[in-house]
Amino acid sequence: MSVADLLWRFPSALMAWRNLGRNRVRTGLAALGIVIGVIAIASLGMAGAAIQQQAATDLGGLASEVTVIAGEDSEQDGLTDDQVAEMRAIAGDAPVVPQKSNATRLTSRSGEEVFVSVTGVEQASVLYNVSQGDAPDRLESGALISASTAEQLELEIGDPVEYDGRLYRIRGIIESDGGFGGGGNELVLPLSALSDQDYYDSVTIEAADGEQATAISEGLEARFNEGDEEVISVTNFAGVQEDIDSFLNTLNLALLGIGSISLVVASVAILNVMLMSTIERRGEIGVLRAVGIRRGEVLRMILTEAAFLGVIGGLLGALVSLGVGMLMFDLIAGDALLVFGWSSFRYLFYGFGFAVFASLLSGLYPAWKAANDRPVDALRG
Amino acid sequence: MNVIELEDVVKRYQSGEEIIEALKGVDFQADRGEMVTVIGPSGSGKSTMLNIIGLLDTPTEGTVRLDGRNVTDFSEDELTEERRSGIGFVFQDFHLLPMLTATENVELPSMWDTSVDRHERAIDLLERVGLGDRLDHTPSQLSGGQKQRVAIARALINEPDILLADEPTGNLDQDTGETILEELTRLKEEENVAIVAVTHDEQMLEYTDSTVRIVDGVIQEVAHA
Repeated sequence: MSVADLLWRFPSALMAWRNLGRNRVRTGLAALGIVIGVIAIASLGMAGAAIQQQAATDLGGLASEVTVIAGEDSEQDGLTDDQVAEMRAIAGDAPVVPQKSNATRLTSRSGEEVFVSVTGVEQASVLYNVSQGDAPDRLESGALISASTAEQLELEIGDPVEYDGRLYRIRGIIESDGGFGGGGNELVLPLSALSDQDYYDSVTIEAADGEQATAISEGLEARFNEGDEEVISVTNFAGVQEDIDSFLNTLNLALLGIGSISLVVASVAILNVMLMSTIERRGEIGVLRAVGIRRGEVLRMILTEAAFLGVIGGLLGALVSLGVGMLMFDLIAGDALLVFGWSSFRYLFYGFGFAVFASLLSGLYPAWKAANDRPVDALRG
Repeated sequence: MNVIELEDVVKRYQSGEEIIEALKGVDFQADRGEMVTVIGPSGSGKSTMLNIIGLLDTPTEGTVRLDGRNVTDFSEDELTEERRSGIGFVFQDFHLLPMLTATENVELPSMWDTSVDRHERAIDLLERVGLGDRLDHTPSQLSGGQKQRVAIARALINEPDILLADEPTGNLDQDTGETILEELTRLKEEENVAIVAVTHDEQMLEYTDSTVRIVDGVIQEVAHA
């Protein structure tokens, strides 16, 4: 069964298809308008998604991290074991990592001196990603050192570093992460190395997500700080991340708005094309009506023409947008295939849907006008 | 019984400021198997009369009867149904759809009707008007006479009671016009259909069963052949 045979079962579709085929240039130009509109909507939508996705990656775990230090009204210069135990109760299953910090000078074999900050921590694996060696869950001996420091001091895994008169073997090189606060010279040692300090300088709580981080922050504030007192100071960037997200959402909407304008322009072009072609074919439509074709059938025929324009333009536009999207994701996020994620891929569906909807809307008036023309007037042309 | 009957039909138009009375009380009838020719000068009201007979237009006053049924007050949708099932049209400039083949043009009036398949009848009709070898040709590939034959086949596809022809030979040369008129005469009997034709063409009068002359919206003379 050929396409024509199949179309015969849908007379409106057959007539619409043949009508569009009569003036291919005009049909092509009308569809091109839709193609451009779809590309505008889908590409801008996907650009927004790409930016949003990349921002989320760059900000990384920042938003889910809660940092606690002793506040102004603390009785001691730091956080106590009791306080940490209470924080663990509040944090639930989120890891609570108390740290002690100090600073020291390290000297390389060639005599070069580097000033490094020293962190004493047990659960090193929670806080640090290492590029070489490992970051143990319980750091009891050995040390981690930041990559840049290791380079400056010409240190490798297995080399010893000296702190407070004791030697620690390097077992991991800390990867410099893209987030804030990274990149400094850092030496990570077991808590025991800083045992002369009674209190913890800070506590880091790694929540599962920004929401949990906010909840933990609030829980800590409520437990430790009464009224205006600041026994502990809690820092969390979930709020910042929310602000950034909401800004990006606004940006996305603005981009989509700009895209929609071009689709509106395209649908006005379709309205014009459909109106022109129904006026040109007025006599022909008069013949249809004279030989007994019903008003609804004429209406359907012309709406189908408009729908075909929308579907053809929408499909082509979605196809081109997919290419544009892959290019954008390649440039912004470094991976073209990320475009197939639903958060960006859906804009292809939106673009296509809007195209068909806008075309049908534009076809409505010409179709109604043609269908309701009195046959005797239409026949006169 | 007459298949179409006009009784005291008056048609007035508003044309700018003035009101034009195109038909001033016209009585007319035609029966199956009969060809009636309407003649008259331009602006005499013959096209208006044909439009009213063809249910394309409604009279200002008077009655239109189709097969004895009063259809004067039918709505546009009801009139469309009557046209679809009972009336065929042949126009001076053929009015075939350029993007459809001859067969598809003939099937056009029944195209949206999924309950009947007129494909066989369309081919049969085209063969009967001598276009059996032109079934898949588009109008641009057909001569004027061939186009008019396709139009006649289209007018007959739904087995109508009435075939209306508006200057059917107007765009054809003498010989071609003659063959078209012979075709119409033959089909009139084969299909038992009433043919009402408007014409300026003198040769048409040789084929007609009766002739009606209309001048200034009034029927002046009825001649039976």
